[in-house]
Amino acid sequence: MNSELNNKIPFFKEMKIEFSMKKFIYTISILSLIFTTSCTKNFEDINTNPNSPSSVQPSLLLRQVIYDFGENMSYEGFVAGDLLSQHRTALDFNLFDRHALKSPQLGGNPWPIFYTNLRDNEIILNQSQTVETFAVYEGPALILKAYLAAGLTDLFGDVPYFEAFNGVEGSVTPTYDLQEDIYLNDNGILDNLDKGIAAIEAYSNAIPLEGDILFNGDLQAWVKFANALKIKHLLRISDKVDVSSAMQSLYDEGNYITSNSENAIFNFTNTDPNSFRLAQLRIGDFNNFVLSETMEDILVNLNDTRMSSLFRPFSNSTTNEFNGLLNGIDASSTSIALADYSLASTAFREDTSTLDANFITAWEVQFALAEAAAKNIISADAQTLYNNGVTLAFEYWNTELPADYLNGPAAYNAFGSNPIEQILTQKWIANVINGYEGWIEYRRTGFPELRTISASLNNDSIPVRMPYPAEEEALNFENYSVAAAATDNNSINVPVWWNE
Amino acid sequence: MKHIYTGLLLCLCFFSNAQITITGTVTDAVSTTTLPFVNITSNTGLGTTTNDDGTYSIVVSSNTDTLTFSFLGFKSQTIVVGDQTLINIALEEDSAALDEVVITALGLERDTKELGYAVQAISSKSLNEVKTINFLDNLQGKLAGVTVTQGATGVGSSSKITIRGEASFSNNNPLFVVDGVPINNETVFNFTNEAAAGFQEIDFGNGGMEVNPDDIASVTVLKGPSAAALYGTRASNGVIVIDTKNGSNKRGLGISINTSLFVDSAFRLPDFQNSYGQGNSGQFEYVDGLGGGINDNITYSWGPRLDTGLLIPQFDSPVQLANGSFVRGGDTALYNGLDITATPFVSNPDNLKDFYQTGTTTINNISVSNGFDTGNYRLSFTDLRSESIIPGVNLDRQTVAAKLNFNPSEKTKINASISYINSSSDNRPSNGYGSENANYSLVAWGPRSLNIENLKDYWQPGLEGTQQYSFNYTFFDNPYFILNENTNSFNRDRIFGNISITQELAKNLSVSLRTGMDYSTEKRQLRRAYSSNRFSNGAYAEHDVMFREVNTDFLINYKNQFNDFSVDVFLGGNRLNQTATTNQSQTVSLAQPGIYNLNNAASPIESFQFESEKRINSFYGITKFGYKDFLFLDITGRNDWSSALATPFSVDGTSFFYPSVSSSFILSNVAELPSIFSFAKLRASVAQVGNDTSAYQTSGAFVSQTPYNSEPTFSNQDFIPNSNLKPERTTSYEFGTDLRFLDNKLRLDFTYYNANTEDQIISLPVAISSGYSQQVVNGGKVNTQGVEIILGITPIQTDNFNWNTNFNFATNRSVIKDLPQSDGRLTLAYSRIYDSSNQTVWFQVEEGGRVGDFYGTGYQKNENGEFLIDDNGNYIADDNLQKLGNYNPDFTLGWRNNFNYKNWNMSFLFDWRQGGEVVSRTRALGNVGGQLAETSYRPEDGIVAQGVNVNTGAANTVAITAESYYRQFYDRNHEENNVYDASFLKLRQFSIGYTFNFKDGFLGLKEGADLNLSLVGNNLFAITENPHFDPEQLAIQGNGFVSGVEDMSYATTRSIGFKAGFNF
Repeated sequence: MNSELNNKIPFFKEMKIEFSMKKFIYTISILSLIFTTSCTKNFEDINTNPNSPSSVQPSLLLRQVIYDFGENMSYEGFVAGDLLSQHRTALDFNLFDRHALKSPQLGGNPWPIFYTNLRDNEIILNQSQTVETFAVYEGPALILKAYLAAGLTDLFGDVPYFEAFNGVEGSVTPTYDLQEDIYLNDNGILDNLDKGIAAIEAYSNAIPLEGDILFNGDLQAWVKFANALKIKHLLRISDKVDVSSAMQSLYDEGNYITSNSENAIFNFTNTDPNSFRLAQLRIGDFNNFVLSETMEDILVNLNDTRMSSLFRPFSNSTTNEFNGLLNGIDASSTSIALADYSLASTAFREDTSTLDANFITAWEVQFALAEAAAKNIISADAQTLYNNGVTLAFEYWNTELPADYLNGPAAYNAFGSNPIEQILTQKWIANVINGYEGWIEYRRTGFPELRTISASLNNDSIPVRMPYPAEEEALNFENYSVAAAATDNNSINVPVWWNE
Repeated sequence: MKHIYTGLLLCLCFFSNAQITITGTVTDAVSTTTLPFVNITSNTGLGTTTNDDGTYSIVVSSNTDTLTFSFLGFKSQTIVVGDQTLINIALEEDSAALDEVVITALGLERDTKELGYAVQAISSKSLNEVKTINFLDNLQGKLAGVTVTQGATGVGSSSKITIRGEASFSNNNPLFVVDGVPINNETVFNFTNEAAAGFQEIDFGNGGMEVNPDDIASVTVLKGPSAAALYGTRASNGVIVIDTKNGSNKRGLGISINTSLFVDSAFRLPDFQNSYGQGNSGQFEYVDGLGGGINDNITYSWGPRLDTGLLIPQFDSPVQLANGSFVRGGDTALYNGLDITATPFVSNPDNLKDFYQTGTTTINNISVSNGFDTGNYRLSFTDLRSESIIPGVNLDRQTVAAKLNFNPSEKTKINASISYINSSSDNRPSNGYGSENANYSLVAWGPRSLNIENLKDYWQPGLEGTQQYSFNYTFFDNPYFILNENTNSFNRDRIFGNISITQELAKNLSVSLRTGMDYSTEKRQLRRAYSSNRFSNGAYAEHDVMFREVNTDFLINYKNQFNDFSVDVFLGGNRLNQTATTNQSQTVSLAQPGIYNLNNAASPIESFQFESEKRINSFYGITKFGYKDFLFLDITGRNDWSSALATPFSVDGTSFFYPSVSSSFILSNVAELPSIFSFAKLRASVAQVGNDTSAYQTSGAFVSQTPYNSEPTFSNQDFIPNSNLKPERTTSYEFGTDLRFLDNKLRLDFTYYNANTEDQIISLPVAISSGYSQQVVNGGKVNTQGVEIILGITPIQTDNFNWNTNFNFATNRSVIKDLPQSDGRLTLAYSRIYDSSNQTVWFQVEEGGRVGDFYGTGYQKNENGEFLIDDNGNYIADDNLQKLGNYNPDFTLGWRNNFNYKNWNMSFLFDWRQGGEVVSRTRALGNVGGQLAETSYRPEDGIVAQGVNVNTGAANTVAITAESYYRQFYDRNHEENNVYDASFLKLRQFSIGYTFNFKDGFLGLKEGADLNLSLVGNNLFAITENPHFDPEQLAIQGNGFVSGVEDMSYATTRSIGFKAGFNF
C-alpha cells in the first residue's frame, strides 16, 4: 500500500487488508454456511401477501355481494335492460339498442356480474357450512344463490351452474346445465330457496347476521324475501310446470314481502362512491339515453303521473311536455336534436338518493300474484292484488297515486282491456332499471306489446335471450359448443326453456 | 500410465522453465499519454494489467510467447516476445467497432474471441453521437436482434426493449446491469378504471431510461441466456450490460463539457379530410354543446360542407351581451340561451399541426476526472431539460455520477460507482382511449371545422377555475384544459450503485465482495380540475412508488495455467432482496376547486396500496478452460432459491438449477486459411435457464372493494393461485461464426439460435363462469429460432478518409408448440376500448401459431373472401374472432454508416422493419368520426359497398349513405378494416461534425484538448403504409404494454440538434 496515501487518509491507515489463506478459507466457510442454511429462510413469510387477507369475515363478503350485484344490475338496467324493454332508447353507440346483443358497448354484458358474485356468495356459503360461528350466513347465502342463479338463467337459458363459480376447488371449464335442471334439481333455484328458509328456521344461535344491507340482519325478512322469490320464479316456469299448489300455499301463508318497507332493496346516495353510476359518469353517457316512444305512449295513454318521476320534459318543450323516440335508430342516417327528447329524471343523475337498487319489491310480488290469480293458477282476487301492486308501485316511485287512476285509465278489467296485459303493463312500468325484468316478463307474456325498432340488426325480431359472451367461446370452448349448438349457434332468437 | 508421467513432466517443465520478465509502458498512440489498467495476457494464459502510470511487468516462459494488449475502446495488439525484455506499446483508439473486449457478467472484461455466445457492444461514442433522452431508443437499429419500441406520450415515455423476440408468454424483459449490479427497468402504472370513468393509464417512464448516456462507457448486449449463470433467472431474456465511465487515464484534472440542443417537431400527423365539418347527416348548429343545437352533442364530421360561405353558429362564434360586450358561443354556463351569431363554416387543415409546439431539449454535462497514485475517479453532472412538442409536457432530469477505482495495495482493488438521479415532470399525458387523453378530442373526435387555436383560452369568463370552455361538453374536454389543468406530475429520486472489493489472496486466487443497490422513491400527483368530463367536481390522487433492490455477491476466482491449458474458476453467491411498494390515495370530488390536497376531499378517500417483497438466493460456478490460443470452453451452473415459488406454508419446490456450456474455436489460429481470411472463429453454446415469477402467485387473498355507507366490502381475488408453481425453463442452442476478411476490412458475424421455453408461468385467462378470470399455471412450450447477421465493411480506409458501414440483420420466429390447455387459443393480453369485451384486440396464441398473433372481429365474407352484403346494402357483422395479424416483424435491418475525413465526421443510420401489423384506433375512430382523409369521398347518392348480396350472391348494387358506409367499415367493434402493415423504413439518425484539436499550450490548455461541434438529427423521415402516425407504437392496457395497437397516440418527434463537446 502506498505509504504516502496512508498518511494522508487515516481511514486507510487503520484498515489493514491482509488476508491469509487460513482466514480466507474460514471466511468462505462461514459465508457458505450462512448461505446454505438460509437459502430458503423466511421464504414462507416473504411470499405471504401483506396486502390482502387470506380469509375474511363473511359479513364483508355478504355486503360486497349485495352491493356489487345491486349496483351493477341497476346500471345494467339503465343502459341495457331498459333498452330491451323499451323504457328508454340510446341515441348513439347503440348497437345493443339495435339488437346486436353480441356487441355490448357501455353495459349489456351482465354475465361476469353474476359469476363473480356467485363466486363470493359461494365462499360465504362454504364458510357458513364449515364454521360453526358463521352458521347464520347459510340461509341468506342460499337465498342469494337462488336469486343470482335465477337472474342468470332467465337471461341466458342454459348456463354453467352446478360445476360453476368454484374454479379454485372445482373446474375452470364448467359444463352448461339445462335451465330446467337449474330451476328444479337439488341445489337448484327452488331447492335452495327452501333450504335457505330451512336454514334460517333451524338457526338458534345468538350471533347476528352482519353485512346485510338489504334487511339489516333481520332473518325473518330473509324468509319473506325467499318466499317472494319463490312466487316470482314459480310463476316464471308456470307454463312448464304445474305450480298451482305451491303458489297457493305461499299465498295462503302470506309470509312474503307485502309492503315497501319490506322490500329487498338498498338505497343509493347522492355522492360518490354509493351514488347511482349514471351520476358518476360523463354527462354524455347520461345524455345518450332518452325516453322510448313505447314508454311514452303507454304512460301518456294511462295519463300516468310517474312520467315526471322517471323522465324530464324535453328542453325544447315550452309546456313541460315529454317526447320519446322509437328504439334502435341508425345514428349514421338520423339527425337527432337531443333537445327534442326527454332525458331520464333527476333521480338518475342529479339526486340519486331517491333511487334504490331493487332485488324484489312488494309490488312485483303483488303483480305476480295478480297474474297467477287472473290465470287461475291460484285462487285469489286478481283485482285486489292488481290494485295493491299499482298503489305500491306509485309509492315506490315516489309519486302520488292520482285519485282516479285505478278507476280511470288503469281500472282493472275495464271495457276493452285485457287484465293480464294490464297487470304486466303496470309491472313493466315500475320495472325501470330493475335489471332486465321488463324485457324478461315481455318475453314470457308478450306484454306490453313492444315496437318494431327503427333499424333492427336482428331482422326486426325482438330478441328472446341474451347471447353467451365471446369469452365463453374462447375460454370454455368445448362446453360452450354444446350450449351454442342447442341455441342455433348462440342465437338471440331461440327461447329459453320456460319460454319454449 | 505413460501419459500421466508425461503430464507430470510437462507440469514440472512448466514450473522449472526459464522465466523471462518483460516490462514496458503502454500509451495512447494519439495523445501519447500512458494508459493504466490495460489488460495484458500471454498466450499461455497469464495476465496482468498496467499500473496507474501505464507500466507493467509480466513473466513469460519462452521467447516464442506472445503478449496481447487490450483495452476497452482501443484496438488490441499482439506482440511476439522474441528477444525483447522491454516492450513499449502504443495502442490506437478503436472507433469503428468496440468488439475486442466486452464487459460481461459481474463486470468481468472478456475478450470476445473467447466467448462461445453472441454479444454485441456499442460504445459511448455511438450512444452520444445523436443523443436520445431514453438511452434505449439509441440502441434501435444498432444491434442485431434488439428491438426498441417507443411509448406514445412524448418525452419521458417508456421504451420497450426485447432481445431475440418474445418467447415467454408473460415476461420478455431483458435484465439491466450497471457496473455489474442489476437495476430496475420496470414501468409502474397508476391505478386506473377501465370504464369510461376515473383515471386513465399514465406512463411515467421505464426504469432503464434513467441511465445517463453521458456516463455510459459502453453498452454490451448479451443476447442469449448463456450468461445467465452469472446473472440469474432474469437473464433468460438477455442482458443489457452497461459499464459507466471510469476516471481519466492520465494524471491531472481532465474536464469534459458536452452540450446538446435539440429542436423537436411533430413527426407524423394524421392525414385529415378538410371538406366537411362538424355534424351528422349534413346538419349542424351549435347551441350548448350538449345536444341543445342540431347535433352539437356529438363531434362527427358528417356535417355540412366547409368553405362554401355557409354561416353557422359555432362554439367560437360571438354572442353579444346586453351591455354590448361579447362572449363566445361556448361560454354557456353563464350565457346559455343567448343568440349565437353565425360565423363562416370553414376548414382548419393545420389545426392539429398548429396545436403541437416546437419542443426543445437541452442536455448539459460536465465531468471531471483525475488519476492519482493508486487509482482514479470521475465525477459527472448532467442536466437535462426537455419541453415536449405536446403543450405543457416536459421532463427534467439531473444526474450526478461518481466512480472511484482505488487500489490501496497491489493486491487489493476497491471500486465504487454511484449515480443519483432526480427526474421530474409537470405533466405526463394520459394514455389510451378516453377523455383524459387529449387526442380523444383532438383527432378522433375533433371535428374538422374546429379551430383548435380558439380553445387556448380555456376557462369560461367569470368562472375561471371552475368551468372550462370547450367545443363540446358532452364527452370531451378542451385539449388545452386537459394538458394545462389536468396534469399528472411526478418527482422521482433514485440512487443506484455498488461498492466492491477484490483481494488477491494468493498468486492465482482472489476473492471479491460486492453489494449494490437500486433505490427509488417517487411521488406522483394526478390533478383534475372542476368541470372535467370524468370528474365534474375535480379529483386528486397521490401515487407514491418505492422500489428497492439490494444485491450482495461474493465471488472467488482461481486461475492458473498448466502449459497449454488455462483454467479460470469462479465460485459465487448472490442474495437478491427486492421490495416494491405503491400506494395511490385519491378523492374523486374536491370541496374547493383548484386545491389539490387530500384534505380537500369531498368524497371518501379511496386507497390502493400494494407491497411486494421477493428474495432470491443463488450459488453459482463458472469454469473457463482455454487450450493454447484457439479453444475456449465455459461451463457454468447456478442454483437459485426463489421466495416467489414458496407458499405461506412451504418452501418446497423453490430451488432450481440450470447449467450452460459454451465453446469458442478460433480456426484462424490453427489452420492455414486462405490469405483473404484475417480471422475466423466458430462458437457454439447450449444453455438452460430457469425463471420464477412475481410474488404472491401461490396463495389466495381477498381484495377490498367499494365500501357501502363507509362500511367495508371484500371480494375474492380474481385469479386462481397455484401452490405448486415450478420455474419456467428455457433451453437454448446457439452457434455462430465470426469471420474477418481482407485485413479486417470485411467483418461477418453470423449467429443461429434455437430455444425452447417450457413450463411457462402464465396468468391463464379462464372462463369467468368459473368465478375467476385468470389462473396461474405452468405450461406451454414455445420454440424460438432466429438468425442474426452483423456485417461490417470498411470500403475505404486512407490516411485522411475512412468509411465504415455496418449492417445489423435479425429475423426471429417464436412458434407455439404446446399450450397449457387442451384446445383453443390462449389469451395472453388484450387491448380494449373502455371495459368493452367487444371492442377488444385479443393477443392470443394457438398451437402452430406465433407469439404476437392478434385477433379481432370483422364482417361476414364468402369463401372467395368477398364481403356479404344484406338487402339494404349493409355489411353483416361476424362476431367470430379472426386473426388480424402479428405484431412482430419478419426481419429487421439496421444500416449504419460512418465517414471520417480529416477532422470531419458524418454518420447516418437507416432502420428497416419489415412485416408485422398494427391495429389503429386512430384509423377506426377517426374514420367513424369522418375526420380522416379516407372519408373525404362522400357522393350524394351514397356508396355501394363492395361485396355480394348475401341472398342472391350477385354483386351488391344497393348504395348506403357515405356516413353509414364509413361508420360500418371502420367500426371499432370490428377491427378487421383498421389494420395496417407495420413495415417501415426510417432515417433514424444523422450527424455531421468537426473536431478542433488544439495545439499544445493553446490558451494555456493542456495537450490533447479538443472541441467537437456537430449537427445531428433523429427520426428524420419514414416510409410506411399508414398515412396517419409513426408506425412504431406501444399501447398500454391493464398495467402492461401491448404492441400491435396504436391507441390514440400522440405524434412522435423529429429532432434536429446541435452538439458541442469540449475536452481539456
